[in-house]
Amino acid sequence: MRKIETRHWTFLGLFVCIGLVMLINVTVDHPVSAQTQKMYDFIDSLPSGSVLIVSFDHEASSLPEIRPIALAILRHAFSRGHRLIGVALLSEGTAIGYRLMRKTAAEYGRKYGRDYVYLGFKPQYIAAILSMGESIPRTFPQDYLGRSYENLELLNGVRNYDDVAAVISITDGSLTTHWMEYGSARYGIRILSGMTAAMVTTFDPYVDSGQMYCLVAGLRGAAEYERLINYKGGGTRGMLAQTTAHLYVILLVVLGNVIYFKSRRKRTTR
Amino acid sequence: MNRKIALVICFLFGLVMFLQYFSQHQVARSVNQAVLEYWQIIFAFTLLVGVASVIKSNVAQMRRGQDRSYRLVTLIGLVSMPLLALVWGIKADTPFMWVFENVQAPMQSTVFALLAFFVASASFRGFRARSVPAAILLLSALVILLSRSAVGSSLFPQLTGVADWIRNYPSMSARRAILIGIGLGSLTTSLRVVLGIERTWLGGRK
Repeated sequence: MRKIETRHWTFLGLFVCIGLVMLINVTVDHPVSAQTQKMYDFIDSLPSGSVLIVSFDHEASSLPEIRPIALAILRHAFSRGHRLIGVALLSEGTAIGYRLMRKTAAEYGRKYGRDYVYLGFKPQYIAAILSMGESIPRTFPQDYLGRSYENLELLNGVRNYDDVAAVISITDGSLTTHWMEYGSARYGIRILSGMTAAMVTTFDPYVDSGQMYCLVAGLRGAAEYERLINYKGGGTRGMLAQTTAHLYVILLVVLGNVIYFKSRRKRTTR
Repeated sequence: MNRKIALVICFLFGLVMFLQYFSQHQVARSVNQAVLEYWQIIFAFTLLVGVASVIKSNVAQMRRGQDRSYRLVTLIGLVSMPLLALVWGIKADTPFMWVFENVQAPMQSTVFALLAFFVASASFRGFRARSVPAAILLLSALVILLSRSAVGSSLFPQLTGVADWIRNYPSMSARRAILIGIGLGSLTTSLRVVLGIERTWLGGRK
């Protein structure tokens, strides 16, 4: 039998911590950050019926973190009566995006073709972003379900980014950079984003310079957004587990350093 | 001769795409749209080349007896997914979507979730304040981590301000420097390719 090493105990500790808190139904209170508030205010301030593009630029691996963000934003947009166009610039996001839009649209009684459409995936994201700036119908002659662009009520009058209020990129990587570099810089479309917490520092310079209007970051961002729309979803539920994992990691760092300094002192006194 | 033709095509397209960027003329817009459409078509063909390469490489390795079972799984996945898509389509409630939602997505999420365990282990064994820079890094990481957790910002309200300062000044300065470096590097490389100075993309020979 293999010897149980220190790392195995750390793994077990994390598993027990997260497993236990998942069984407890406690809501963690947290303030709403300025960025999340800005996203909420923007969507809230748009006139009802405004057209927004929601781009699902993520893979399946980040779904537990991305899904609550996307659902919160979609719920808010649908509740305000906005019309949504879904696209995906990563193939894996295609099916996920369609499911999320269909689910939230059903919750608010929104009709496909009139209140929302899903155009699906287009390969080569830079070319797709630039091409949509010239002509969305030429880039997506058909929607995800194979219906012609002209036959979809929502899309009548939507030719390019000029007819869209903003693009919301739901991302787990740096793909939103291309939305800013090509969609925003070339065609002037406003870019907002919901992203994994790990990507925030990558986009901080863009938010600071105004190239990105605002962002909702990570599970905490999702929980903040859910608080604003008064909905308890995956973000709120996951916050306790995330907080526990953070505290566990902090504890391990402190413990590791205490052991390190003690052993160093022992070596010096010898 | 063949290399010269490729260089001329590259130069012409580089020049045309650069010039059209500044024009709103109908012809310029049409040229841009046509090039973008061809770009996507060419990309689709490069995917085919990639798939062929993966099959070739895996079959060759299997013949040599290297990791046969893993390579077989790769090839089965590579063949079965397009097959399911071709026969039943890729829309909702098709076998393709079932496999995606019940096999691929959970597997990817599982692998991604394993990161949390490795982070926990690494934080205990490797994140040590061995020097002053390491101590600064450690302290910054702890502040950011604590500020992102609900408990940290509730217990120490000033922590969010400190975390924001770290993100907005030291972190952002470093990030900006990297981005400017990448931007200048991309510009220089693009110019070298368009002007025919950089020719490695043709195959590496001079």
